[in-house]
Amino acid sequence: MTRQASRRGVLAGVGIAALSAGCLGRTRNIAGRGRSSQLTLEINAPPADRDPNAIRIARHLAENLEAVGIEARINTLGHTDLRRKVLINHNFDVYVGQFREAEPFDPDAMYGFTHSQFVAESGWQNPFGFADINGVDERLASQRRLDGTERREAVAELQRDLGDLQPFTVVAFPDPLTAVREDRFENWTNRQPLSVGGLLGLERADAAAGAGSETESEEGTADGNESDGNESDGNETDDGLIDDNPLADDDGEAGDAATLRLVTTDERITQNWNPIAAEYRRYGTFTSLLYDRLVLVDDGEVIPWLAADWEPVGDAGVEISLRETDWHDGEPVTAADVEFTYEFLQDTSMGTAESAIPTPTFRGRVSAVESATAIDEATVRLTFDGVNEPVGVRALQVPILPKHVWEERTGMATIAGLEFDAETTEAVVTNNEDPVGSGPLRFVEAAPEESVAFERNAGHFVVRTAEESGSDSDASDPLAGVPERFRGKPAFDRLEIEVMGSDVAAVQAVGDGRADATVSNLGPDSVPRIGREADARLVTGQSGGFYHVGYNTRRAPLSNPRFRTVLASLIDKRTLVDTAFDGYADPAASPLAATPEWVPTDLLWEGGETDPLHPFVGEPGSLDVETARDRLREAGYRFDEDGRLLASGT
Amino acid sequence: MSPLLSVVASLALWVGSALLVASVTIVGPRRLYALWDDLRDRLWEIRKSLAALVVVLIASAIGRGSLQTVSELFGLQLTWAIYALEGNFVAWVQATFGSPELTVYFASVYVYGYVFLLSFPFLAYLALPRTTTVKRLVVAYALNYAIGLALYTVVFAYGPRNVMPDLVTSLLFTHNPEFMALTGEINEPTNVFPSLHTSLSVTVGTFAVLTRREYPLWTPVAAWLATSVVIATMYLGIHWLTDVIAGTGLALGAVYLSYRVVDEDETDGTDEPGVDDAGGGADGAVDEVDAGSEAVGE
Repeated sequence: MTRQASRRGVLAGVGIAALSAGCLGRTRNIAGRGRSSQLTLEINAPPADRDPNAIRIARHLAENLEAVGIEARINTLGHTDLRRKVLINHNFDVYVGQFREAEPFDPDAMYGFTHSQFVAESGWQNPFGFADINGVDERLASQRRLDGTERREAVAELQRDLGDLQPFTVVAFPDPLTAVREDRFENWTNRQPLSVGGLLGLERADAAAGAGSETESEEGTADGNESDGNESDGNETDDGLIDDNPLADDDGEAGDAATLRLVTTDERITQNWNPIAAEYRRYGTFTSLLYDRLVLVDDGEVIPWLAADWEPVGDAGVEISLRETDWHDGEPVTAADVEFTYEFLQDTSMGTAESAIPTPTFRGRVSAVESATAIDEATVRLTFDGVNEPVGVRALQVPILPKHVWEERTGMATIAGLEFDAETTEAVVTNNEDPVGSGPLRFVEAAPEESVAFERNAGHFVVRTAEESGSDSDASDPLAGVPERFRGKPAFDRLEIEVMGSDVAAVQAVGDGRADATVSNLGPDSVPRIGREADARLVTGQSGGFYHVGYNTRRAPLSNPRFRTVLASLIDKRTLVDTAFDGYADPAASPLAATPEWVPTDLLWEGGETDPLHPFVGEPGSLDVETARDRLREAGYRFDEDGRLLASGT
Repeated sequence: MSPLLSVVASLALWVGSALLVASVTIVGPRRLYALWDDLRDRLWEIRKSLAALVVVLIASAIGRGSLQTVSELFGLQLTWAIYALEGNFVAWVQATFGSPELTVYFASVYVYGYVFLLSFPFLAYLALPRTTTVKRLVVAYALNYAIGLALYTVVFAYGPRNVMPDLVTSLLFTHNPEFMALTGEINEPTNVFPSLHTSLSVTVGTFAVLTRREYPLWTPVAAWLATSVVIATMYLGIHWLTDVIAGTGLALGAVYLSYRVVDEDETDGTDEPGVDDAGGGADGAVDEVDAGSEAVGE
């Protein structure tokens, strides 16, 4: 971190002179001290091709660091390498990244992210090495147990503590921009176009297969249904497609018409399908379509998914009855799989390792579950650790894994038979080729770094049960609780994701009709293109994936909260939103800003220009260097005659 | 048509036409007829150099992915060092000279001009009665690729467009995103140091100067095109000045080595490999050419 001049060289030179001068003791006192040198910080961020926004934040911070006398080095790394460096190896100074929640989230998401119980774990758990035992830890624990206004107060205090201590600096919540075309699929919501719910809610457009979709009336796709005239003829085709579903794959034309084609600049989904791999998952949207969760939360609505129903048992337990469905390999999904999953996520070695090797993701969620027990084939009982309902619901949102596949992966990870690291199991490092899930999509094929294809799982309960029962069934609805928009879905037979070189190329692919939508982030170079493409449209929504600057608080001087708050005030969030996001983002001070009901008024970014916590030092767009230096001096830092900030020679 | 196919098709069309025109005007009909009559013999004569190039290209195609992984895991992450060295030079180039006309010019030079620049000398030198020059050219190409690939693996760095998108526009891919389909097939975005576009263009330019007596018309054309490609790599925001300087060094080194490897004294028409035994040794590819030709030559 600090640039070390060779002390040996200095000593060799000074030594001779000093010996002859006969003042060895004094020389030792001087030369024996570590010399101060300029502080250097390395800022890690993905390159512009992979994430057009993050690198702009990194550049902005680097520029302002240099201005106040700190040497900044920008290190561009691909997504996987960056995550490995930051989340697994904790070998970083500063990183710029996005939070891993795609949608606005419950405050308990901060539990895994900042609780000190996770400092020694790798993955999305407290990558900062941050520990505030009496403040943040205390609030995190109490917001789990309290309800109503008491929880609200705990959450408000939590945000103030995080704001004061700045283990990470929230920069902005980006609008999840997506370029879409609607000639083949419609009902792209302006909510979460590419969430699990958004993708399942898509409908075939009339023009695409000459098919009207069954549920279009319910969903009221107000725009784009002008051609209702050929409704009868449309329905015929649609029914045909569903009835001979197994044959649809053979029919090239029909298969093509029913293929949803997405483009992304993020190659990870073509390489790895492990739902718990921290390096490879962005939001986990596609792995959530492969692996069902007990409940699905769509736009704040809790939808019973793999769990058909649940009933409270005792003080802190629920008894969950599962839907009847199969894994992609034909084995039935049972309560034993659910029991296994919750145990496995706590310790992926299933008790075979010296100490537990927990999953690198979902830790905060599963830490709320004390035990999971299968009662019978289709019933499982979860006992919670005295948490409130929202935290319990979060705990139900983990991918349920097939026991018969993953219990083979509890051994230590090896390379060519050699154990490399005793802290890692096969389950954590596997690419999970040919993933066996139970979700509405199943894996077909992939060309690493190029493309991946999934197909509709005709055996999934939303498809199967929707067809069996039909619309006129009078028996009790086997899909009780599942909204109409998800029944019989997905509307596509095949989902293909192609990797593009940049966001501009991705938008171009949508404009040219080679793709239906973009998945990855769009930057200021690509957003204006969408308007110029006749058939492309911009949809957006609300994101939980806030951009933030994360600090490694294990390393001095980033270990000092005073220093971190000065860094926070070097970030001109308002200007960044305009330049790095083309205005498509909201600057924020609190990590919970996407859910304003949780944010106390003193932390709200009141549409104004200034950060309520650590306002930018200077006018928008221009840093006040002297004031920034004064802040650093007040915090105890020193500068040399050239204005360089000195790091102690440790 | 997929963007890759359409780019390749238009590339084949334009470069093909340019080659035709250039062959007639620069090489001349007489030499072209002679080449046609003697094509098989000449190709047979240069088979070892060609084989070396093909080996390097195949190794590059197959090994690139694994070498990229090695580079990611163990390579020197030097993006910051390159930036510290030259700062905003590329941004300055764009800010000072950027104009829509120049962007169109440099984008086409970078893709079409470059392919033409590399393919024409092969044809032209093959049409020379003696095969020494074409052998040297092919060996120099192989050396460029082999050393370039090794450096790509050792140095893990991203280009200016990826590091400072606020100052440097990715002009090529912003205006012609379809080109990305092509370059993405050939190159990784982390392969910036050294610039192979620069090194191969400078290689051709150097050969054009060295062979100015044979093809006086080609020398200014090659010099112009090579300079344009070199500037294009920076103007388009793809490479750093550092990459360009390293590429130029690589080119001069490769030309020098190719002269050491392929002996001047060779007489035409014989099967003598004409490889200087003492030459090279600094690089694996050179050794390969040496060893291979010795084995066959004896």
